[in-house]
Amino acid sequence: MLKWLFRFGTPVLGVGCLIMLALIVTNRELPTAIFTEANFQSFKILFISIILEAFPFILLGVLFSALLQVFVTDELIQRITPKNPVAGVLFGALLGLLFPLCECGMIPVVRRLIRKGMPAYIGIVYLLAGPIVNPIVYTSTYAAFRTTPEMAFARMGLAFAVSVIVGLLLYKFMKRSPLKGMAAHAGVTAANNHGHDQDHADHHHHHSHEHGASGKGFRARIKSTMAHASDEFFEMGKYLIFGALLTGIIQTAVDRSTLAVFAEQPVFSYLFMMGFAFILSICSTSDAFIASSFSGIFDFGPLLAFLVFGPMIDLKNTLMLLSTFRFRIVLALIVLTASLTFLGAWLTEVFL
Amino acid sequence: MIHHLLRAAILTGFALFIVYLFKTGEMTLYIAPRMEPYVKLSAIGLYAAAIYQVYAALQRRMGKHEADCNCEHDHEPSPSIAKNTLIYGLFILPLALGFLAPTGTLGSALAAKKGVSLSGSPSFERKPEVSPAPISEEKTLDALFPADEYTIDHAQYGKILYSLPTIEVPEKQFIETLTTLDLYREAFVGKEVVLSGFVYREDEMGKERFAVSRFAMNCCSADALPYGLMIEWPNANEYGSDEWVSVKGTLKTTSYMDNEIITLEATKIERIEAPESPYVYPDLEFAY
Repeated sequence: MLKWLFRFGTPVLGVGCLIMLALIVTNRELPTAIFTEANFQSFKILFISIILEAFPFILLGVLFSALLQVFVTDELIQRITPKNPVAGVLFGALLGLLFPLCECGMIPVVRRLIRKGMPAYIGIVYLLAGPIVNPIVYTSTYAAFRTTPEMAFARMGLAFAVSVIVGLLLYKFMKRSPLKGMAAHAGVTAANNHGHDQDHADHHHHHSHEHGASGKGFRARIKSTMAHASDEFFEMGKYLIFGALLTGIIQTAVDRSTLAVFAEQPVFSYLFMMGFAFILSICSTSDAFIASSFSGIFDFGPLLAFLVFGPMIDLKNTLMLLSTFRFRIVLALIVLTASLTFLGAWLTEVFL
Repeated sequence: MIHHLLRAAILTGFALFIVYLFKTGEMTLYIAPRMEPYVKLSAIGLYAAAIYQVYAALQRRMGKHEADCNCEHDHEPSPSIAKNTLIYGLFILPLALGFLAPTGTLGSALAAKKGVSLSGSPSFERKPEVSPAPISEEKTLDALFPADEYTIDHAQYGKILYSLPTIEVPEKQFIETLTTLDLYREAFVGKEVVLSGFVYREDEMGKERFAVSRFAMNCCSADALPYGLMIEWPNANEYGSDEWVSVKGTLKTTSYMDNEIITLEATKIERIEAPESPYVYPDLEFAY
């Protein structure tokens, strides 16, 4: 955490300075009015409500991940994952239909799947597509955009396309394991999955020793599940709470209408909606209702960008991603998904 | 061992916090009713995890090593005290805020940041007015409430509202009612409308206007958006922001910041107690 603070402290300070500069340029008073009783109440309610809302899903995620760890063998995971990269990417993109988890619960599960030998690019595709390409999110988007049912289809389609392209690019260019603290374990290329297995050889040895299918009794397994789940809860929880803290502060402090000034220009309206999705950090099941509240102000394209980018990347889940994946991978993911979403949403707007 | 006990304490704290919120009814401030069962379930999960942590602490104490598993991640928390203080502090912060800080509700301050919608849900576009010569009673009603496939429910609902002597904007369909009033404003001008909410004002409204608003929440208050109706009343500035009022008045249209919006010309304003749940929720089964 400290190292993390040092690493990001400077950029955060930089952003702070930029905000100050912007305030000076636009000749506004330093917002001392921010520290009022009413704002404190808003902050408190937002902060706690984000945490409370995410708890069930995080718990579900860590429990599911722990069950995977204890009850499902690595061999099984590797066997059901397609070896062909294209099939693998499609598999990852559609896995959300079977296991509709939202983004908070997703990260521990994907990390577990990758550690258990699912090729990393497939795991990341699931991570990106899963929170959108699933029946629950489809239904809520459809309900929120009753007057424009194309939105639900476009959202599913674009999310699918973006995640598949990201997956194929990762397959081509990502050679090291994207997970933190696994420097020695190379081999993400599915083509030599055997090499992958060998790299993990000593790790596998331990595993079959500890969690082997026949070795341990049911009680020990339950115990192990609990141990994994509660550890992971704390690991993910700290990022969730930090993300909720930042989101709460931003939502209380930043005036939406001042941001919307940027939305006048066509290009900026996309960037604005994506930036807005990033700082809002709300769950993919409810963000469609927020988006529909903007439908008077924004066109189809920017709203689509909001709906596709938000669940894939937002403030809260970036922090959670950083707990799991290498910094460079997270950065690459953000840049890739942002530019692909922008492009895709813009093309949809032009051609629809 | 200290880590296990600390974690057990934090987990129990969160579980108790959830129970506390349900007991005091404050949960409605944070979470929409349809999410409440899941949050309740998570309290049970948190309890279970807390019990496990105590169990693990006892095992440690008796010299046994907890569930050995040599998976790559560290079960051992970092030895750095500063780092641990920071992390546990992060977990304790929401608990401290929740238990110790006084509880208010979302009000004008946040509404101003989010921007109040004064014309119902903007996802329904108003059609340009068509007023053909009415022939029969039934025909008139249809002409007053033109609908396409998306606004058919609102048109049906509008016809029901139209037949009422006084339209009371209900809690359950707050947004839908405001949207209907806005969509078919020609039909409703001159009708008597009653609604309640908190007082919200913007500088541009001046001394004789304010908006009666409610926050509409989908899942949690992070996604709450304010909706309101403009009120005209000569002594509007007597009412402070965030005061809860019930307003009776006649509907008309006025112009506000270059937009034509529906406005209630108040005939009676009453101060009321804040309702138990300050929020309204979109009615997902809205259909007629």
